[in-house]
Amino acid sequence: MVSQVGNTATKILIIDDEPHVVTYLETLLQDNGYKTVSAANGREAMEKVKTEKPDLITLDITMPEQSGIRFYRDLKENPESADIPVLVVTAVTGYGGDPTTFENFLKSRRQIPPPDGFFSKPIDQDEFLRAVKELVNQGSQAG
Amino acid sequence: MTWDHTAPRENSNPMEDLRKWIRQELWDQVPVSISVIDRSFHIIEANRCFVNTYGEWRKRPCYEIYKGRAERCENCAAAETFEDGQVRIREETGIVRDGLQTYYLVHMLPLVRPSGELPYIIEMSTDITAYKVLEKEKLEAERLAAVGQTVAGLAHGIKNLLMGLEGGIYVFRSGMQQADSERMVKGWAMLDENIARISTFVKEFLEFAKGRVPKVHLVSPNQIAQQVFDLFEHKAELAGISLRSDFQPNLPYALMDEDGIHTCLVNLVSNALDACEISDKSDRSVVLSTGDEDGVLVFKVSDNGTGMDYEVKKHVFTNFFTTKGSDKGTGLGLLTTKKIVQEHGGRVSYESAEGEGSVFRLQFPRDRLPHLGEEAKSDVFCVTGG
Repeated sequence: MVSQVGNTATKILIIDDEPHVVTYLETLLQDNGYKTVSAANGREAMEKVKTEKPDLITLDITMPEQSGIRFYRDLKENPESADIPVLVVTAVTGYGGDPTTFENFLKSRRQIPPPDGFFSKPIDQDEFLRAVKELVNQGSQAG
Repeated sequence: MTWDHTAPRENSNPMEDLRKWIRQELWDQVPVSISVIDRSFHIIEANRCFVNTYGEWRKRPCYEIYKGRAERCENCAAAETFEDGQVRIREETGIVRDGLQTYYLVHMLPLVRPSGELPYIIEMSTDITAYKVLEKEKLEAERLAAVGQTVAGLAHGIKNLLMGLEGGIYVFRSGMQQADSERMVKGWAMLDENIARISTFVKEFLEFAKGRVPKVHLVSPNQIAQQVFDLFEHKAELAGISLRSDFQPNLPYALMDEDGIHTCLVNLVSNALDACEISDKSDRSVVLSTGDEDGVLVFKVSDNGTGMDYEVKKHVFTNFFTTKGSDKGTGLGLLTTKKIVQEHGGRVSYESAEGEGSVFRLQFPRDRLPHLGEEAKSDVFCVTGG
């Protein structure tokens, strides 16, 4: 287990329609010293971005009401939220189960930058926490 | 045949001769087997294509030549045309040639005397075996492609379940380490629920994979729609959604697999109600309708719920794609629907606008509906073809 304690002020928004995934990521991140908030769909998530001003977002792709891709586009098109780093956490892969296909699809959208990380469900906890730590540190250095 | 049209003839009209020549050439050159049958169903004249295809025809009845039968066919189209003088077009299965089932399209044309007497019928039959074989091969190829998609979809479903199980293990184990019994209970519940989900998932998957032999009967489309409507009426009312029906009166019966069509409509209505449930509109409604449009039987389910955005539309018919969270759907509903509809020679289409709602349509051209199995044939009068 990674015993890393993040900046206590660091707030992470977990977006997933699956309550178990939210509980899992909340517990994991809180155990590692992060504050968490959550949203079950893209629309709710956009409200939370405005009111909670998270430092980092974990994003599922297939959700009701508004898909994760749509949310991501809206997030990156708004200058106020464009700088928030995003880790995609999804079971969606390419046809034939190729994990790189979907990642490449996201990267191929030129008008918006690619997400800062891509995690295929089920996640590798250590790698996930390492990515979160790196992105949060980058953010605090830049800020 | 040769004909010297330049040679002068006595008492002959050159135009009339030319017409005769053309008719004779046409009779023998068309790639369609043409025969003339009398009221005893014996062939009294046939063209060259007929001879090439079926061989000697003199003194033989049509049912023997076409179908290898010793007696007249049930639902004989020729008998019906002798009866009412109407032109008939039917698709028929013919004899087995070189181990292969043959198929032909047959036209029955009445030869009527000025007195109104109808002594003969012209039977024109076009061999469509090659098209039928192609059609079967195409269906088989589609089925194989679906198997590939299914495997990829299965992996997707398992990954989601694994994420839930790993989450449960993490929450339970960290609860033990911290002697936090509340957390342990939460983790255990996550494990429990995900194991139950695996069980459901495997059952549904097997259900989908094993397929089922459609049991075709002559059924009332409106009656199936009414049963599905009744099934959801109470649920819709509880959810505050107006469920309405709009069935075309006196909709003709159709040869369908009743359970299969029932499953399709249940899937569509259930999806439509879900789309309404997550919409925050005040006047949410779902309409189930039936109708016949130019020989095409149509079931339609429209809702004014959330509609689908582009990403969702792209994945609508992909296995295991669900927007509902795993407690509400496995993502097999629409795929199963598509499979059943295709088995009936029909198609599924939809229109959807984000925020405005969706319309799903099941279209069944009546001339492509399945035929009755041989064992069930005697139950029903006049069932084959158009």
